Amino acid sequence: MTAVTAASPRRLPLPVLRRWLFDGWRGLIGWSLGIAAVVFLYLPLYPSMRSPELVSLLDSLPPELVRTIGYENITTGAGYTQATFFGLIGFVLITIAGITWGAAFTGGAEESGRLELTLAHGVGRVPYALQSAVALLLKLVVLGIVAYLLILAMNGPAELGLDAMNLIAVTKAWVGLGLFSAAAAFAVGSLTGRRSWAVGSGAGVAVAGYVLQAVANNSEDLDWLRVLSPFEWAYGQAPLTNGFDWAGLALLWGGSAILIAIGAAALARRDILG
Amino acid sequence: MTAAIRTHALHKRYGAHTALHGLDLTVEAGSVFGLIGPNGAGKTTTLRILLDIIRPTSGSVTVLGESPRAGGAALRRRIGYVPGDLRLEGRVKGRTALQHLAEISGPVPPGAIEELAERLGLDLTRPVHALSKGNRQKLGLVQAFMHRPALLVLDEPSSGIDPLVQREFLALVREARDAGQTVLLSSHVLSEIQQAADDVAVLARGRVVAEGPVSSLRIASVRRIRATVTGTTPEIVRAALTAASGVEDVDIASTASGDLIRVSATARGEIDPVIRAIAAGTIRDLTVEEPDLEESVLELYARTEDAS
Repeated sequence: MTAVTAASPRRLPLPVLRRWLFDGWRGLIGWSLGIAAVVFLYLPLYPSMRSPELVSLLDSLPPELVRTIGYENITTGAGYTQATFFGLIGFVLITIAGITWGAAFTGGAEESGRLELTLAHGVGRVPYALQSAVALLLKLVVLGIVAYLLILAMNGPAELGLDAMNLIAVTKAWVGLGLFSAAAAFAVGSLTGRRSWAVGSGAGVAVAGYVLQAVANNSEDLDWLRVLSPFEWAYGQAPLTNGFDWAGLALLWGGSAILIAIGAAALARRDILG
Repeated sequence: MTAAIRTHALHKRYGAHTALHGLDLTVEAGSVFGLIGPNGAGKTTTLRILLDIIRPTSGSVTVLGESPRAGGAALRRRIGYVPGDLRLEGRVKGRTALQHLAEISGPVPPGAIEELAERLGLDLTRPVHALSKGNRQKLGLVQAFMHRPALLVLDEPSSGIDPLVQREFLALVREARDAGQTVLLSSHVLSEIQQAADDVAVLARGRVVAEGPVSSLRIASVRRIRATVTGTTPEIVRAALTAASGVEDVDIASTASGDLIRVSATARGEIDPVIRAIAAGTIRDLTVEEPDLEESVLELYARTEDAS
């Protein structure tokens, strides 16, 4: 018997990946608009920030505070862009976006029953996980391209004086940083099948990374803590000023790959929850 | 005939809770097999093992000649599955959702989605998250049948759909069997299994407590009868019912005005004596109800214990 083999429509590869991208285009546009809003709100203020008044204001602040929020070099275009966008609000945006997607593709899909229906069809567990991970990566890369182009467009008007290659370097670090938290959410979502655990783990990784480097910035004795911080891996060598930090990028992207592999292996081995 | 599904000594434990206690089940290829049992009997667990959504703790299972785990995605393309708790979300329209599923199922003939949707009365232009329970279930049926799989695994497929659609669903099942497809159908509604299935297994507490051809099990032999009659007296009806064999729980009441008599009784075996007894008067109203499944399974359990 019986399965009809004739007249089947042409099959495109990577159905799970395409489905996630198709379903998520509204969200992707929303996050892109958020990034645009931040870029257009903050970067044009730079020329007015280069004033002696700001320098004296920063000098009057507690140095611990200035170091914690990364404002040491705020009077240069690269330092300002790093402190306002990549190190702060941009970091928050890409982290939340990545965690949301990483959790939705694993624990969220499982809780909603979508994973059961998908896996009851002709999709293997590992292909499901890997295609979902690539969808996650592609969406974050789109945010990276959006941020890169917008900041590049503001470079002249806002007198930032950024080097285009260094901007690529920091954007790669920024996307890698978002991906690392997203991959943590992805792995825990795959391990537990629970969206809230996935979100909590991704957020925990992001917050811990930020706090560790902030503490290390303020204490010589605790300087070693920065080794454990994804935030430090991304920005410790000031890529927007100094260019690519390949060791940091390797930690972020390699670490993300390991987390995703753990997620895929976990999903392949366990029962899918109802 | 060869078996489309064969399980042997299938166990599934969730921590301290055991969902399946050594389940042995054989479904012949080309047959419609009904799986009935009360909630918590292990029906859904069994069906999900067949799709490799969950894995058995021990025991063996073969589906279309392969183990679900080894057969993987290629095996699942030859199966159509309606989950017991089908939830759909998202803004996509029914048609889009089905096209996405068609990409990951076996090859779907052109027009199959539209034809099935038309037969079941499913509006493909509505977003899936806005569908009622019944319409979600129709979408579930469409995606299970659309690629004409060798095996259909249907977990409570007609829950929430109205009787007309249920009739169309039963027609789909018959057509599938006529086309040589195998259907495994779980339900807690006896009448559905009786109308659709050739063979049936009754599950209780993770075991098969009875199985065989539907006709041999006589699982619906207990019926509750309620009637309203006029033109006779309670005494005559009571005497007739008490004299009949296999009639229990007789309750007879006259209405205040005295001309209507309400009768209720439980018939084990034939219902004919009850009908004859009340036909002494004029029957104004009559309902014959199936008992709930829990009751009949326990009944069946008792009978099989007695027989052995």
